[in-house]
Amino acid sequence: MDFIFYFGDVFTFTSIALLLAGTFFGLILGATPGLSPTMAVALAIPFTFKLDPAQGLILLGALYTSTVAGGAVSAILLKIPGAPANIATTLDGHQMAKNGQGARALQLSFLASLVGGVFGILVLIFMVKPLANVALFFGYSHYFWLAILGVTIIGSLGSKSVVKGLLSGCIGLWLATIGFDDILGTQRFIFHPALGGGIHIIAALIGIFAIPQVIEMFAKGRQKVNMEAIEVEKHSISQAASEITRNPRALGIGTAVGTIIGLIPGIGGQIAGLVAYDQSQKFSPDKAKYGTGHPEGLIAAESANNAMVGPSLVPLLTLGIPGSPTAAVLLGGLIIHGIFPGTDLFDNHPEVAWTFINSMLIGQVVMCLFGLYIAGLAARIAQVPQSVMAAIVLGLALFGSYSVQTSMGDVYVMGALGIAMYFLERYGFSAAPLVLGLILGPIAESNFVTGSTIAAAQNGTFIYFFTGWLNFILIGLVVASIAYSAWSEISAKKGATA
Amino acid sequence: MNRLEQIIPTGIIAAVGIWVAWVSYTQQPSEAFLFPRIFSGVFVALSLWTLIEAILGKGAKGSGLSVSMVKNFAPGVIIMVIYLFWAAKFFGFYTATTVTFFILLSLYDPASHNELKSWGKRALITVCFIAVMYGLFAKLLRVYTPREIFF
Amino acid sequence: MKKLLAGAAIALAALTTQAAADGHANYPDRPVMMVVSYGAGGATDFQARIVTMTAGNEDALGMPIAILNKPGAGGRVGWNWFATQAEADGYTLSAYNVPHFIAQSIKGGVEYSTDSFEPIANWGADPAVFVVSTDSEMNSMADVVAFAKANPGKLTFSGAGLFVGHHIAALQIEKAAGVKMAYIPTKGGGSAAMKAVIAGDVMGGVNNLSDAFRAAAAGNVKILGVADLERSSFLPDVPTMMEQGLDVDNSSVNFRGVMVPKGTPQGVIDKLAETVPAMFANKRVAGKMKAGGSPMHIMNRAEVQAMWAARQETLEALLAGL
Repeated sequence: MDFIFYFGDVFTFTSIALLLAGTFFGLILGATPGLSPTMAVALAIPFTFKLDPAQGLILLGALYTSTVAGGAVSAILLKIPGAPANIATTLDGHQMAKNGQGARALQLSFLASLVGGVFGILVLIFMVKPLANVALFFGYSHYFWLAILGVTIIGSLGSKSVVKGLLSGCIGLWLATIGFDDILGTQRFIFHPALGGGIHIIAALIGIFAIPQVIEMFAKGRQKVNMEAIEVEKHSISQAASEITRNPRALGIGTAVGTIIGLIPGIGGQIAGLVAYDQSQKFSPDKAKYGTGHPEGLIAAESANNAMVGPSLVPLLTLGIPGSPTAAVLLGGLIIHGIFPGTDLFDNHPEVAWTFINSMLIGQVVMCLFGLYIAGLAARIAQVPQSVMAAIVLGLALFGSYSVQTSMGDVYVMGALGIAMYFLERYGFSAAPLVLGLILGPIAESNFVTGSTIAAAQNGTFIYFFTGWLNFILIGLVVASIAYSAWSEISAKKGATA
Repeated sequence: MNRLEQIIPTGIIAAVGIWVAWVSYTQQPSEAFLFPRIFSGVFVALSLWTLIEAILGKGAKGSGLSVSMVKNFAPGVIIMVIYLFWAAKFFGFYTATTVTFFILLSLYDPASHNELKSWGKRALITVCFIAVMYGLFAKLLRVYTPREIFF
Repeated sequence: MKKLLAGAAIALAALTTQAAADGHANYPDRPVMMVVSYGAGGATDFQARIVTMTAGNEDALGMPIAILNKPGAGGRVGWNWFATQAEADGYTLSAYNVPHFIAQSIKGGVEYSTDSFEPIANWGADPAVFVVSTDSEMNSMADVVAFAKANPGKLTFSGAGLFVGHHIAALQIEKAAGVKMAYIPTKGGGSAAMKAVIAGDVMGGVNNLSDAFRAAAAGNVKILGVADLERSSFLPDVPTMMEQGLDVDNSSVNFRGVMVPKGTPQGVIDKLAETVPAMFANKRVAGKMKAGGSPMHIMNRAEVQAMWAARQETLEALLAGL
């Protein structure tokens, strides 16, 4: 219960000011396409040079929590996921906005973020020591199986046909191998100089999600304004709050999945939302509503990607191992003040550790209040005419993809992938499995390669990848997941013929 | 729906898959292409499956394209390609974006094209957008975008 | 009309480039970008952010330096981009890591070599160290060598990739001891390689002194030897490889510094070569670097040129047999 004694440090004038500023800019940066939480936090590092350690971390922590939540804004309103964490948010969130329920979608998203985020940080506060070693259980073979487990949900994710879903996943795996091989340094599939640096995930996300949408708007031609224009429904915050409480299943699944995945370093942030979305769909009685603007999907995705924030810091704070790129930047923010996270952080620098964690807890609340405040206003973006919207999204796509690495190569990759994706979508292929392949491919590959090099020096590949209790559990889950997909495919076909 | 319309995209994907598999199995060093070799087999198998489905006229189709849609999006897509792949770098981001934005509005805005007022509105929206982009990317985020000939 | 416009555009472009060519006196008149070929939060990124934090001061460049991360394939992605696509106008700098980029260029498959870049100054020297987890039975390099002799090819040890400083140190240790061990390159930089050691995925590892120093302070690893000519002031109790009878010199020491692409105007290079070493020497910078456990080693342009040439020679000899 030590953490309670350090709440006082958060409620100083400077700390509160930093918290508010961090949250405010975090929401803006998170909502900007092309700016991931990692980049937002890295941008703020120079400011922390001038602050004392606890204050610097308050700023970084507030930025981290609010950029993750802010990514939902552009995912819902523009269908541009700001970071991989928000891919699942686009699936139902953007549909809701299209149906005129933008305000409701944003409110639900911020409330779900609050619930997930607070739970995740409470887990961090109360379980940090018992959970410290979880990160060390996972070796290369386990990561490989985790990635394969992720691949198995591809077939069922947002695609009407399992075959085309898997094929989209394969295309994603291929795109992920373009560029330099990460371990051996061999150049692969570089058929154009712009591909020299590989396909950056953020640039790919912008292209794959934003550009097809722009073309779709073009395809409608000169639409008469506001004939079928969307009435943006007013939606009160109390309505949203009661709706959240009426969805305990989606909220519970999202929070649980996010927390568990967050504990596994290196994999969490990117896929927590997608896995939670998939699980919530599998356990839901109205499976068919997913993808059509169903609040459950949005709630599961957003609670998951915020629930992962707290637990993802456990390996950093206890072992000094950054579990995600963002955690790596936070590590820099600590080291710069001569504080080395490790087993003794909570004993030697409790004021830094607890002030940081407490400020993230309060940051969640501030973020939610800000978000609810802007929701009604931001939702009006749905009233913007299609012609203007197409031009805005196109402009944002250019600037966003360029600023990822200030590179024209990323812009070309973004444009080419986006145009190709539009045509693929018209013929039954879908974006979500493709992106999942793009994310999981490198994880599966590098862990397979490193694992088999270790295995070759020990007892051989089979023993390394197929023995041990954790491997057994993960392989079991993979088999169960495939069996479930096959079973639901068959029963759906039976249902169709009966 | 036209069967040929299904065969073309699935055929292109099958061709890509076969090319990926061919590259994976012919290039050296083989360790670097181990993973591509594994998945490209699946890639080829699945893409041939969808191609055969398309030839037989079965399988999930997606909504396809129609002539009116293509006519509608063709000018926009051409402008988009010029903008992303050439103009942005050649003229500088802000100039290219201003011009493209205004052209797209003129093309797709259903409001009257004969009244001065609606042209004024388009110009105003363009200026507002560029101002916001400049504030966000140049001032707040300090991204140095290509400035080339103009800005 | 179109021709007129195009003509005007060309004339304008010519005018601005002319102005830029003559304008070295004003350099830099806008913020400068520095490419780091490793991920945000890694040792190189972290140090690059510290040593450039005073760039905006009047006695330094007078303009801030913004860090841009282009990670991938042990640095190859970033340096390839820098060698082939970056504009040689002095507004795009890059951090270098020696011996990494030199070893990679000798090995081949990349589009850069020491001839593609012009060094400006060096800020740090981070030796490679050999680490094992705290509960390991190995307590000295002699134990490591003895185990490797008894179990040829079975001793697994991690490092941050192929043809980087860690790999060079690994090759030198194997060669000096005359043993065969299993070097495991990991993806994700020094911290991923360190995690493999702490978690027991591998039996030992080569890592950066700065990262190992922190992990040892936290009680997660033991440091058995330093691959440098002298002991480090951060680890006065840890003997060098030479002291333990292994003929390993400082070829693997990770020198970090700033460079520009070949073709950058001489005026700009001179200006940078004059101001940057002084910028590194700033007292605030030194304080932050020390607090972070990052050893500094400032060298000017001429010294770095000599160091690059020397490394090129030793690495060519070392890698010749591979």
